[in-house]
Amino acid sequence: MLTIGLMHYLVVAAVLLCGGIFVMATKRNAIGILMGVELVLNSANVNLIAFDRYLCRAGIDGQILALFVIVLAAAEAAIAVAICVNFYRVLATIDVDRATKLQG
Amino acid sequence: MSAPLTHTYEILLALGVLIPFVSFWLLVLFGAKLGKPASGWFAVVLGMGVSLVLATIVLAGWWQTDAGTRAQLTEDAFRWHWATVGEVPVTIGVKLDSLTVIMFFMVAFVAFWIFVFSLGYMSGHSDEVGGKSLYHRFFAFLALFGFSMLGLVASSSLLFLFIFWELVGLCSYLLIGFYFDRDYAYRAAIKAFVTNRVGDFGFLLGLMLVFFKLRTLDLDQAAVNFAQQLASGTGLFGEGITLFGHQISGMALATLMGIGLFCGAMGKSAQFPLHVWLPDAMAGPTPVSALIHAATMVAAGVYLVARVFRLMTPDALMFVAVIGCLTLTLMALVAIVQVDIKKCLAYSTLSQLGYMIFGMGCGAWIAALFHLMTHAFFKAMLFLCSGQVIEGCHHEQDMRKMGGLFKKMPVTCWTFFIGVLAISGAGVAGTKIGLGGFFSKDEILAVAYARSHQWTSYQDFEAGEHGGAGAAHGEHAVLPASGERVVRLAAYRQDPQPGSTETAQAPKSTYVWGNDDLRPADASAEDGRKAADGAGAIVHGQPGEESHAAAHTDDRGTHGAGRDNAAIFAGMRPLPKWMFFLALITAYVTPFYMMRAWWMTFMGKPRDEHVYHHAHEIPLMYVPLIVLAVGTLFASYFLFRPLLAAAAPEATAASLVLAFDGTSHAPAIHAAHGFLKWGVGGAFIVGFVVAIVIYGRGLGLAEQLSRALRPLHTLLVHKYYFDEVYEVVWIKGCLLLSRIARWIDTWIIDFIADSLAKLTAALANFAGWIIDMHGVDGVVNGISQTAQDIGGVLRTPQTGRIRNYVLWAVAAATIVIVCVLIFGSESAAATVIRPAAGLP
Repeated sequence: MLTIGLMHYLVVAAVLLCGGIFVMATKRNAIGILMGVELVLNSANVNLIAFDRYLCRAGIDGQILALFVIVLAAAEAAIAVAICVNFYRVLATIDVDRATKLQG
Repeated sequence: MSAPLTHTYEILLALGVLIPFVSFWLLVLFGAKLGKPASGWFAVVLGMGVSLVLATIVLAGWWQTDAGTRAQLTEDAFRWHWATVGEVPVTIGVKLDSLTVIMFFMVAFVAFWIFVFSLGYMSGHSDEVGGKSLYHRFFAFLALFGFSMLGLVASSSLLFLFIFWELVGLCSYLLIGFYFDRDYAYRAAIKAFVTNRVGDFGFLLGLMLVFFKLRTLDLDQAAVNFAQQLASGTGLFGEGITLFGHQISGMALATLMGIGLFCGAMGKSAQFPLHVWLPDAMAGPTPVSALIHAATMVAAGVYLVARVFRLMTPDALMFVAVIGCLTLTLMALVAIVQVDIKKCLAYSTLSQLGYMIFGMGCGAWIAALFHLMTHAFFKAMLFLCSGQVIEGCHHEQDMRKMGGLFKKMPVTCWTFFIGVLAISGAGVAGTKIGLGGFFSKDEILAVAYARSHQWTSYQDFEAGEHGGAGAAHGEHAVLPASGERVVRLAAYRQDPQPGSTETAQAPKSTYVWGNDDLRPADASAEDGRKAADGAGAIVHGQPGEESHAAAHTDDRGTHGAGRDNAAIFAGMRPLPKWMFFLALITAYVTPFYMMRAWWMTFMGKPRDEHVYHHAHEIPLMYVPLIVLAVGTLFASYFLFRPLLAAAAPEATAASLVLAFDGTSHAPAIHAAHGFLKWGVGGAFIVGFVVAIVIYGRGLGLAEQLSRALRPLHTLLVHKYYFDEVYEVVWIKGCLLLSRIARWIDTWIIDFIADSLAKLTAALANFAGWIIDMHGVDGVVNGISQTAQDIGGVLRTPQTGRIRNYVLWAVAAATIVIVCVLIFGSESAAATVIRPAAGLP
């Protein structure tokens, strides 16, 4: 019978990571990119929890770290969405390729 | 006499000097507002009138002061310590002695009446220069001149004497060139100024020697130091100096100093060969000629020699005599052929100045100054007369066009005649009846005779009489450096404390005037008796006073030994005989040319109707003439000479030379040459007769004579070609020098400068191109260019596209992981991948 071990979690996390990166690299929609970032962060969270569970049974360091990441991700998402709203106000779009105002 | 307040006289004299200065500034600042007559009157009253009053008060007070008080006042005169240059103190003060008092009065008196005359003169003359009235300026300059001349006379310091000296030179320049828009006037002004500079250069050199060697600038202190240094063989008489490899002994240096100081007098008193400026200076207005170029300023040279007489050496004095003798002869001859009335008087002035200088050179100190005084009066008057004539004759100066003016100008005619008599030395020989020149010229000639013909017997007399005494308190020393025989005074050597305060007083006190023997008072009394007995000889004016002075001097001199007169006599060489004869002959020439001028102007028949008709007199102009004529007639002998004789002892207390007519020999001088008083006293008659014979019937005979003596006449008309020679030698030479200098300037200095400039420009180009543009700029630009380039390279990945960044991040992460996996150590890989210890 298949035993769910550390490797499985890592694979799931790697898949999530690759998905996230892919989304970030391909999407032009700012919200989409944000979602990609969330995926990457959550892949890291999966890894943290998994390592904590399997490699560091004595403590809950990984879990706490994962909680921090979640909180930070929420904060980051809030800011990112606010930027997106302002971005939209200025350019009437949220296509990141159109954000070229700072280019010399 | 009640002793007056100690410094009263000095204060009065100082005020007399300063008030004209104040009025000068007032005239400069407000003269234009005062307008034409008012500024002139202002100058007359404040510019000179007050000074004349003060001078008169001082003279009157001084006249009543006895000799002892006078000496005390002279000694107590205040000196304000102005500055110290190096170790030499520079003081300001009034030189208070009989000479100053009398000169001051003379200058103020003559100047005042000439100021008055100027009022009349300027009312008839144009005061416009360049279309602008300069009336007030004329009087401002006159006031400035009054200040300078009075200051010169009153100054106690050689430095201030020099400053005033230059100031009178400046005034002379300004007033000769008063009509500066006229070509001849400004040329004459420049000529006068430049010629004076030549003399002043010598003066300055002499002044420097005084400063550096005698270590003082005060007139009295200089004489004191002179005597001290002579006695101790230090300072001026020390080792001497080496100049261009030649050793110059102390005595030669002292002679140079004397000649240097005399050079100033040569310029100012227009002595040969610097006389050329004075005739040209007649381009100035006539009152100026009278005041500056006849009466006062030109006499300043004689005054200077009189003042520095105590610093003279026998050789320097001989130089003075030679110059004076040449001047008096040569210039008198030129005066014969002059037809311009002012020029004729100018040459006459030159000749008379020559007499004064010659007198100084002979040692006739009193006589020369006496001649200065009398000359100032009659020559000022003569010039004013000529001014009156010129003014009356519609600016005609040529005497050939005058004649017969005595009817139109009686006052001028007869005052001029008085002047002619005075300058000719008219008088009754053997008596005291005569005019100024009669006494003064006779005295100069008498001393000259004694110095030229009888000198050795005087020397023998002194040596015989006082030889023993000389051995006792004097000795002759030989300076090894030059072998020159220098007389040193044993008195100073015997002084136990040289340099003490006692020594500082010593020269004043050791000097016993004219009485080097043991019975001073007696000798002087004897002088007086001789004077009374002497057959009409001219002697000291007031024997009683003289003896008092001598006694007084003796009182002060008891603690020192007397000057060794024998040594001084021995040190002075006899005058060459030709000098006496030249002066004697000129005494005959003078009445001739003066009578000629008078006769041509006033007597005979009118030669030019236009001039004759125009002729007239102005009261404002002839009043001064009358006053000066009266002065000429009466004041001179009884007022001036006694005071001059009183001034002589202190002012001529020299260590190497003596004022011969002030010594106890004076009566003997006059008694010994009985023929002279007839020879000189009769000169004027001969001169007059010859002049009247030649000119009595018009100009015909004179023209015949001039044709007969054509070479001589031409030489005299051209004034010995001095101007021409100076033109060629100095002016052309100067121009040639300046051309050479210009050539050097253009072709050498400029070439060097231009080459340097070009070289600099080339260097600058090189530096700018190579170093600056490619070196310095290259570094700076290179840095910025590099920064830009780096920035360009670095900005290419910064696309701003998130994709790219993500890719970069992924790629980087991938590379890192791959690297770790491949190159990482076992342990490093283990930390990443292998479960921690204790894992199941």
